[in-house]
Amino acid sequence: MDLNYTAEDVAFRKQVRTWLEHNMPRHIQNLDERRAWHRRLYEAGYLGMGWPREYGGQGARPMEQAIVADEMARAGAPAPTNGLGIGIAGPTIVVHGTDAQKRRYLRKILTAEEMWCQLYSEPNAGSDLAALRTAAVDRGDHFEVTGQKIWTSGGANADWGLLLARTDPAVPKHKGITCFLMNMRQGGVDVRPLKQITGSSEFCEVFMTGARVEKENMVGRLGEGWSIAQTTLGYERGGRALARVTTYASQYRQLVDAARRLKRNGRPIVDDAITRQKLGRVWADLEVERYGALRTLTMLERGEHPGAGGSITKLSYSEFEKRFMELAEEILGPYGQLTDGVPPEYRLEVDTAIGDHGTWAYAFLWSRAGTIYAGSSEIQKNVIGERILGLPKEARADRVGGHR
Amino acid sequence: MNFSFSEDQVLLRNSVRAALDEQCTAAHVRAMMDDERGYREELWHEMAKLGWLGLPFPEEQGGAGLGLVELALVLDEMGRAAYPGPYFATVVLGGLGLQLGGSAAQKERWLPAIASGQARASAALLEDGLDWDPSATAATATRAGDGWRLSGVKRFVPWAHVADVVLVPARAPEGLSLFLVDPRGAGVTVTPMVGIDLGNRWSELRLADAAVPADALVGPAGGAGPVLDTLLRRAAVIASAEMLGAARRCLDMSVGYAKVREQFGQLIGSFQAIRHRCAEMLMEVENSHAAVYYAAWALTAGAEDAAMAASICKSYVSDAARKVCGDAIQVHGGIGFTWEYDLHLYFKRAKSLEPLYGDAAYHRELIVRGITGA
Repeated sequence: MDLNYTAEDVAFRKQVRTWLEHNMPRHIQNLDERRAWHRRLYEAGYLGMGWPREYGGQGARPMEQAIVADEMARAGAPAPTNGLGIGIAGPTIVVHGTDAQKRRYLRKILTAEEMWCQLYSEPNAGSDLAALRTAAVDRGDHFEVTGQKIWTSGGANADWGLLLARTDPAVPKHKGITCFLMNMRQGGVDVRPLKQITGSSEFCEVFMTGARVEKENMVGRLGEGWSIAQTTLGYERGGRALARVTTYASQYRQLVDAARRLKRNGRPIVDDAITRQKLGRVWADLEVERYGALRTLTMLERGEHPGAGGSITKLSYSEFEKRFMELAEEILGPYGQLTDGVPPEYRLEVDTAIGDHGTWAYAFLWSRAGTIYAGSSEIQKNVIGERILGLPKEARADRVGGHR
Repeated sequence: MNFSFSEDQVLLRNSVRAALDEQCTAAHVRAMMDDERGYREELWHEMAKLGWLGLPFPEEQGGAGLGLVELALVLDEMGRAAYPGPYFATVVLGGLGLQLGGSAAQKERWLPAIASGQARASAALLEDGLDWDPSATAATATRAGDGWRLSGVKRFVPWAHVADVVLVPARAPEGLSLFLVDPRGAGVTVTPMVGIDLGNRWSELRLADAAVPADALVGPAGGAGPVLDTLLRRAAVIASAEMLGAARRCLDMSVGYAKVREQFGQLIGSFQAIRHRCAEMLMEVENSHAAVYYAAWALTAGAEDAAMAASICKSYVSDAARKVCGDAIQVHGGIGFTWEYDLHLYFKRAKSLEPLYGDAAYHRELIVRGITGA
């Protein structure tokens, strides 16, 4: 056990920090600027670092990927774009795609020449994703897709979508699903923004009416879609953990500063014993998340995959984020609810997970999403209970019979 | 960066577990509840032979020269076994205290004796007001001839009734000082304080003008503050390791029970109400593991954030162990509330350590002072 970084990692961190100092844009106004920033990161070798070299990656170690993400968080650097291309679609193609698919798609994902979205969730298939009903019907030389997807992040700008669709309604539901790469720029695909409680629209709804998917764009074999989705969910989770904590720490320091300025019962809130207890607890929880991230990184560095252990990480940080933001709201009072007209000292100077909206209100509202997306806390607890603790599955009515 | 145990550390853990599985069964723990001394000498000498009693001491004093990660591993296992005996009191409170603050002669007198199983020790860090801040010490030390006379009341002194020497903080004219006290000496009264965890014995130590010789002073008069701060942090982290072990045991028993207990015609582990609770317990155990071993490493390595990590560890694990062990009773239902079933042994071990060496609230305040500088 040695939790010091190696000299090599320290040197690499310094190199990344210096590069960011010289190359990081101050503010990003629109998608074109974000794409330009994305390309600069790619050209510097800081994107898709873990991908194989032959497809434009760096074949880098997990620690190097974590350091880049961590330094970007530390500097408050804008996020690159095409997150689902790099995080989900690309890795899926790397592992399950044909040679032709790899050559055709991977490099353009990295350069953000082609933007991707993930077409998984449906209005009636959320936690129960395998209940999805979007149908892909074999028309000889192609598949014809009809159905509705929801919670499609980045859908409005996407050129391509990684699609799960039902190809066989007669078999049990987990077995009739196939994975496809679908062109989003076609007549049968209608993308509508979905306005969230944040007032913003990072997500979309996607309506497919007889949309066309070429046979060559099937990923894996017919009926293999569920297992493919299982192996590629949460690919990047481990590598981002450290950066996430660094972002929390930056937010926390700003919260403490606010607690020094704001007053309650005639004295600064930071001197209030109860608030101090809560601040102490959140910092402890935050650091424990960091220790956990170092544990995960140790596994990744040894070539092990956390597997279902990733569910513990996800459950822990997403629930923590809610507690953290609730404390922030408690300390900031109505300042914590401002979406506009925020006095400079109560702005949140940090690039959030999704965009660069600098308000506590936005970060607070977003904290409610973390325990729902990518498998709700309840689903994570089922995974932990069944796959790690080996507890019996509950009696389920949907493991037998066909699914129409 | 490597947050995993070395081969030697894994071997150590396995050998401690094997020895305790064999010699510290639940039946042994129960037998010791009614034992006047509360522990078995045979096991104590076995632990000396296995090198556990001198684990953190330098080799020249009969020790193994290992660090706090290894010590945490041992206590993690002892928590898992609800080991009854003065190991923590002797090796951590007395042993590390002497190692941190003692003179060459004091170390030479006590550390080899501890390592070989000849001596037991403890430290009296708490008084009636329960403030863990060493500067709150009210007991007094006045000069008397070449030596000192100590007066005051210490509470919750672990295993003082079997200790050969107790480290006692007291306020001298020069300031906070530390003394070696023979609990069987004149002017010293040791009275049992019986808590819910009968495997973790406490005493009140009453000093009424108790005379100690000049060489009982540990470190310079008035200079005990830093030693006590350091000792408290180490004790907090190692006690957290013991709570972690107890919590892990409670989780294991709960999962095991949920796989065999049937109600409504089904195994209760198939109910989300039970499964989700067990999943939360595992999350708390894993987070506690990270907190304990990070802090143990940081203290050993002298990392910049070592003091902070110790407070983070104790505050986090105190809360987590309470939740995990309490939830374990809930998962078990009625049987978990019976004396006959073993769960309460581990529940009580975690509970008895929760308020010691700084409770969660004490350490959270230290965390915030560390962040805000005030």
